[in-house]
Amino acid sequence: MIRNILALAFNDLAVALKNKTIYLILFIPLFVFVSLKLLDRTDGDISKIRIGLLQHYAYAPQIVDSVKAAEKIIEVTWVQNEEEGTRLLQEKKIDGVLLGNEKEPGSLELLVLKKESLPTLAIVESFSALQKAAEGNRVSWISGIKTLHEGGIQRQTLPTWILMLVLLVGFIILPAQVAEEKEKKLLLALLQTPIREAQWLIAKVIMGMVLTMMAILFLHVLGRFTVVNPFDYIAFIMAGSFCFSAYGVFLGFLCRNQASARTIGVLFYLPHLLPSALSDFSQKLTVVAPLLPSYQFYEPLKAILLEDGRAANMSFELVYLFLVGSFTFYLSYLLMKRRWLM
Amino acid sequence: MQLEILNLTKLYDQKRGLQPTSFAVKKGELIAVVGHNGAGKSTLLKMLANWILPDSGQVTIDGIDLKNRTAVVKKVGFVPEVPNLFDFFSVEYNLKLFAFLFQTPFLRVDEILREFNLLAFRKNKIQELSKGLKQRVNIGRALLADPPVLLFDEPTSALDFEMTKEFYRLLHTIHEAGKTILFTSHRPEEIKSLATRIMVLHKGSLVFDGSPQEYFQSEVHENLYA
Repeated sequence: MIRNILALAFNDLAVALKNKTIYLILFIPLFVFVSLKLLDRTDGDISKIRIGLLQHYAYAPQIVDSVKAAEKIIEVTWVQNEEEGTRLLQEKKIDGVLLGNEKEPGSLELLVLKKESLPTLAIVESFSALQKAAEGNRVSWISGIKTLHEGGIQRQTLPTWILMLVLLVGFIILPAQVAEEKEKKLLLALLQTPIREAQWLIAKVIMGMVLTMMAILFLHVLGRFTVVNPFDYIAFIMAGSFCFSAYGVFLGFLCRNQASARTIGVLFYLPHLLPSALSDFSQKLTVVAPLLPSYQFYEPLKAILLEDGRAANMSFELVYLFLVGSFTFYLSYLLMKRRWLM
Repeated sequence: MQLEILNLTKLYDQKRGLQPTSFAVKKGELIAVVGHNGAGKSTLLKMLANWILPDSGQVTIDGIDLKNRTAVVKKVGFVPEVPNLFDFFSVEYNLKLFAFLFQTPFLRVDEILREFNLLAFRKNKIQELSKGLKQRVNIGRALLADPPVLLFDEPTSALDFEMTKEFYRLLHTIHEAGKTILFTSHRPEEIKSLATRIMVLHKGSLVFDGSPQEYFQSEVHENLYA
């Protein structure tokens, strides 16, 4: 009996190896390990707050003295103006900028990426502690918080959910469907009719785009999310869904069966999702992530949804997504012409 | 000649595949391609159906080069060994989808359903059908565009004795309608009275091409199937 169980277990392992499932077991821990290594706050500066101060603003002397005295916990970057501070903030080189509060002269306003975030909390707590130590319980130095990203926590997570949906259709659903049609010889049956290869490919990409847009529309309806620049938003959703649908069809062509397609889908899904979604927390990932098409979709999406950005300023990203989509579409076409793994 | 094949070759490795093969087929012939497993029968038919691309060689069907796929698909119907239909959909849906792609009127679907005794199953999903019925739907689909040449790859391999007999009756009827047919078989005895010509493939090479009478008296039959 044990002999049979062992034989069956070895057979199952061999099947897992054959359909590449085993790669997931090795890949996911490896990927998480590499991602964690890329997150910034694993080094010695874990507790250091990086704050930007305006060069030409007259901060109260006790504030400047307190900040200088707390050099072990606060790293100061002097910026020329608010624009430079905003840029450094977006590049994750600083955690916040202290500006003069126009509504309450004499007090400060903190400019951060997100209100509900660990760096914001750390800055407010640290300045509160410094103020108590310098002046006792007086009115807080920071009297207001201004955010670059608009909306509450739900809205701020919206770009990540949308990225997940687009990648889910592109890397999980489409490759499996293409591989199924290959595995069951349905694609070859369709090629017994006068349809052209490109027609089949276009149909698959359209199907991916429609599924993606339906999912996103459903998400908007459920969450009652509105968009300030709907045409810019739709343009990016279309470009992204085209890019990842074509990419997904190509991945399907690399597989002989559905099991392989699911595995290869996850292998592509996670690396495309996590660096883009986690780049908010890591300067290192911000450097690596732009190499991925998912980042070129995610960043403009974030800008449009959270900062009222316009597609006109993101033509590079639009062209990039279109080119990646077109290139993978062409590769699929070549593989289909060669009846690759059919 | 309806079908002309010149030096058609496909080699998977040194031993498997089809060595350079040439032959011609006249209109209305019913050819049984016989051989053991791995002889190259399916490879030959799949190349004629455009499922596999040949390494070299040329095929013309009614004067049209096989490479011109969209022009040649209406000339050849291919019925693979395992029915390749959309399982979750009905018999009628499957046939109508392919009729639409062939730009054939839906009236033809009704004709096929009637001819193949499938009217009672038109609303049934493919996954609910028996192997024999699936095979019938598959043959019906291959005939939608009324192609002059039909290819059957191991059509009886999954069928029981009764179903096999039924299939051969069907094949006879299709042949009587004037179609040119090539089909593969492991069992030459079964097609003795059916085929008008027998071709034998052995290790990728065409080792016999003649009438059934000649074949059953030849050494090839003795050596391969005795």
